Amino acid sequence: MSAKSPNALLHGTLDALILKTLAGGPRHGYAVARFIEDTTGDALLVEEGSLYPALYRLERRGWVEAEWGISELGRRAKLYSLTREGRVQLDAEVAAWRRFAAGVAKVFAT
Amino acid sequence: MRRSLRSWLWRIPVDEEVDEELALHVELRTRELVERGMDPAAARRMAIDRLGDVARLKRSCVDLGRKREREMRLTRWIEECRDDVTFAIRQLRRAPAFTLVAAATLALGIGANSAIFALVDATLLRPLPLPEPDRLVMAWEQSPASPRGRVAPLNMLDWNERSRTFARFGGCASNVGGMVMAGADGTAETVDRQWVTSGFFDALGVRPVAGRTFLPDDDTKRLNGVVLTETFWRTRFNADPTVIGRDLRLDGDLYTVVGVVPDAAQLLARTSIWALRPIPARHPALRTAYALRVVGRMKPGVTLEQARSDMASVADGLAREFPQSNTGRSVAIEPLHGALVGSELRVTSLLFLGVVGVVLLICCANVANLLLARATVRTRELAIRSALGAGRRRVIRQLLTESFVLSAIGGALGIGVGAMILEVAPSMIPEGLLPGAVTLAFDGRVVFFCAAAAMLVGVLFGLAPAWQATELSSTLAMTSDSRTTTGRGGRLRGLLVGAEVATAVLLLVGAGLLLRTLLNLERVDRGYRADSVLTMVVDPLGDKYPTTAALMQFFGDIEREVKAVPGVASVGWASTLPLGPSYAGNWFAEIVGDPPASERDRPVADKQIVSPEYFEALDLPVVAGRAFTDRDREESVQVCIVSEAFVRQVLGGRAPVGHRVSMRPVGRPQQAPVVREIVGVARQVKGRPDEVDALVQVYVPLAQDAMDDMFMVVRPASGDAGALASGVRAAIGRVDKEQLVSVRGLMTLDDIARDATARYRFRALLVVTFAGLALLLAMIGVFGILAYSVQQRMRDFAVRRALGARSSDVLRLVLESAGRVVGAGALVGLALSVVLGRTLERLLFGVAPLDPLTFVAVGGMLLVTAGVAVVAPAWRATRIDPATALRSE
Repeated sequence: MSAKSPNALLHGTLDALILKTLAGGPRHGYAVARFIEDTTGDALLVEEGSLYPALYRLERRGWVEAEWGISELGRRAKLYSLTREGRVQLDAEVAAWRRFAAGVAKVFAT
Repeated sequence: MRRSLRSWLWRIPVDEEVDEELALHVELRTRELVERGMDPAAARRMAIDRLGDVARLKRSCVDLGRKREREMRLTRWIEECRDDVTFAIRQLRRAPAFTLVAAATLALGIGANSAIFALVDATLLRPLPLPEPDRLVMAWEQSPASPRGRVAPLNMLDWNERSRTFARFGGCASNVGGMVMAGADGTAETVDRQWVTSGFFDALGVRPVAGRTFLPDDDTKRLNGVVLTETFWRTRFNADPTVIGRDLRLDGDLYTVVGVVPDAAQLLARTSIWALRPIPARHPALRTAYALRVVGRMKPGVTLEQARSDMASVADGLAREFPQSNTGRSVAIEPLHGALVGSELRVTSLLFLGVVGVVLLICCANVANLLLARATVRTRELAIRSALGAGRRRVIRQLLTESFVLSAIGGALGIGVGAMILEVAPSMIPEGLLPGAVTLAFDGRVVFFCAAAAMLVGVLFGLAPAWQATELSSTLAMTSDSRTTTGRGGRLRGLLVGAEVATAVLLLVGAGLLLRTLLNLERVDRGYRADSVLTMVVDPLGDKYPTTAALMQFFGDIEREVKAVPGVASVGWASTLPLGPSYAGNWFAEIVGDPPASERDRPVADKQIVSPEYFEALDLPVVAGRAFTDRDREESVQVCIVSEAFVRQVLGGRAPVGHRVSMRPVGRPQQAPVVREIVGVARQVKGRPDEVDALVQVYVPLAQDAMDDMFMVVRPASGDAGALASGVRAAIGRVDKEQLVSVRGLMTLDDIARDATARYRFRALLVVTFAGLALLLAMIGVFGILAYSVQQRMRDFAVRRALGARSSDVLRLVLESAGRVVGAGALVGLALSVVLGRTLERLLFGVAPLDPLTFVAVGGMLLVTAGVAVVAPAWRATRIDPATALRSE
């Protein structure tokens, strides 16, 4: 990721964003993408190509689980939701991010 | 729960799942873009573009999904296994009696098998513990007289030089002997010694642990050298490296220690010290001194056939060169492993393995029976599990897990049993039954064998009951009708248990006969009356006592010194021990004046050279005439004392005293006979415990026929003779100041008698053990089928009780079915025993093959043990409360 692309995601942040998104309730993949786009106001670019592998990865780790549900089109859709382990992980990631941001902020404040 | 439901009930292949998910994504994105005012086609294209390389994306998702599924399956499998094992352990703990009996059965089966496996492993499977053992052969001289003869030293040297297929030949003398080693503290001890040629260790490929082995150069230097065995070096010299290069005084000469070799070098003979026997000058006598056992190491890549044909031509060459000694002599070659183990031991081992394998199968069948009996009890439980959605596979798996847990417990206990057998066995096995190469060890291989056997056994005895149990549960249990009779499988089980009973009876009869034989042998009248006598070999080495007078002086000195030891009552000398070895051997003994007998009918007697006090020391009565006295000297009239058997067989009952006997050694007919006058008759003494014809004995006074290798017999005033050993040794040491006397084989006459019956004892022990095992297994079998049938006939019994049958009627029913199986088995077993007794006759002593006492005892024992096996099921059957039994159906 080049420095010229300000809205590129820091490595590992995508997982945290997905967990945070699912904390609001079960969503399918497209909804996750849209939620992130909407809340960040397009300030962050979520590459759709990495979103789905991330979801599968989180599922494999047991932080997220999937169920078949019905989408707004009335079609079968894979709905992801947060597991208990996922919630714990989310808290840990948020805390880590806060420490990281505070540290960076201190350096910039000098 | 939700996760597993999702994957099991909604099984959608991962790639379809990914396809569907991405398709939905594209569709929703397109709709969003269209809503924002885009052209549908362009919107769709853009939606796809935003996903990037769709194929790659799909691949990585599918990949991750598959991995996840695999991991989940594995976790679930492990979880299920853990649950099954926990559940199985709980089930087994709920039935402790069943668990105990089943596990003990398996432990016995697996333990016995592991011990025999150790034997088979040691004899057949394991390669010799030497480098490249395939290249090692045993080489013999072959002549018309002996197909496998010892090798003359010069022939071995020539083989070494002339053969093209052998790297090295080496030999050792055929017998291990002892050497007297003088210690720094002034004591002498006898250590095992083996004579070897310089090439011996090189041929075996033995590398020294310390120092070196012998070099060809040592031959020409006529080195007085020894190599120590590692264990001896460690125990006697504390693994002191400075021993190498030091001189040891052995048999009065100085020998230099050149090195230490590992214990593996003892394949041909167990020994502590290896002494070099140099073959220096080419003395022609060494061409016919057939003394060596020879091992050869073939050159790499040489086949046995090549070696044989090569050695054939070498032998031909030697026969042409030395026609006098080597005509008709060729070389026999045999792989070393085969030569050491021997085909007899090979067959015995395999036979044993077969027998204990059958024993293990019987164990399996028994445990399967027990499990079946239990499975019927659990029919209801299994039915409920099925109804709750457990598939048949799942239930079978659960039941199999139980068998595996059971077999694991049995296997673990079996390892203990096997280790115990191997711990005890070596001391029970008579010497000489196993060659030196065979060491029984309980090691990783045996443990592995136990584990493998336990696994196999778990499947063997678990599968059928699990199958049958699930069959029952699906068809019968839910209709609550368990009125099954023992059908096809039941008859098979009955036959099996009947066969077990028959085998047990057969083995018990054999055991009884062999035990009675052993008791008879131990009670045999040995002839002498002393309670406890200490014996030892006293061997003045070398030629320090060249004349009879000097030798008698030496024996007299020792006798006086030993007599002075407190507690010693009397001391005598003999060349033969009762039930023990005879050093003077067989002699022709003819009565002077009798018509000469043909070679075949010429009377033969065991010549026993004894001191006058021998008769007193053993409390051996002289029943007629007189004993020897100190007046029977070398130069006085040659006399002898004969045994009662001599009077019967040689004199035909004539009055013995005054007759004269002409004695010649058997095998040296050209030697001039010695004529001796009979002065007395001694009570008959046993030569062997199992002798049928009494040994004809002639006693000769030591002073008139002195030998330098004698047994000393010492009788204590009272108590155990073994306690005198150290005092007697010290007394000999006081006479033998130069430490030239070899004192060895300290034993009491009782020890010697016990050794003489060792083979009988081993045989009896072996058969008794197997008989006990067989009886135990048969009774477990009886218990198993009875418990099963009682369980199955519960309802039948309950109905009978309800209709007025008394509990004694029910008891009779149970006992009848038990009686049928045991009775039939016992009859077959007894019938076979009659046949067995005939074949066993040769091994029996003082007991008839159809010994009534044995047969009655076996019958009684069977009755008692069968009673024990029947008690629990019978009690259960009589305790049925009809109301509860019928209501619960």
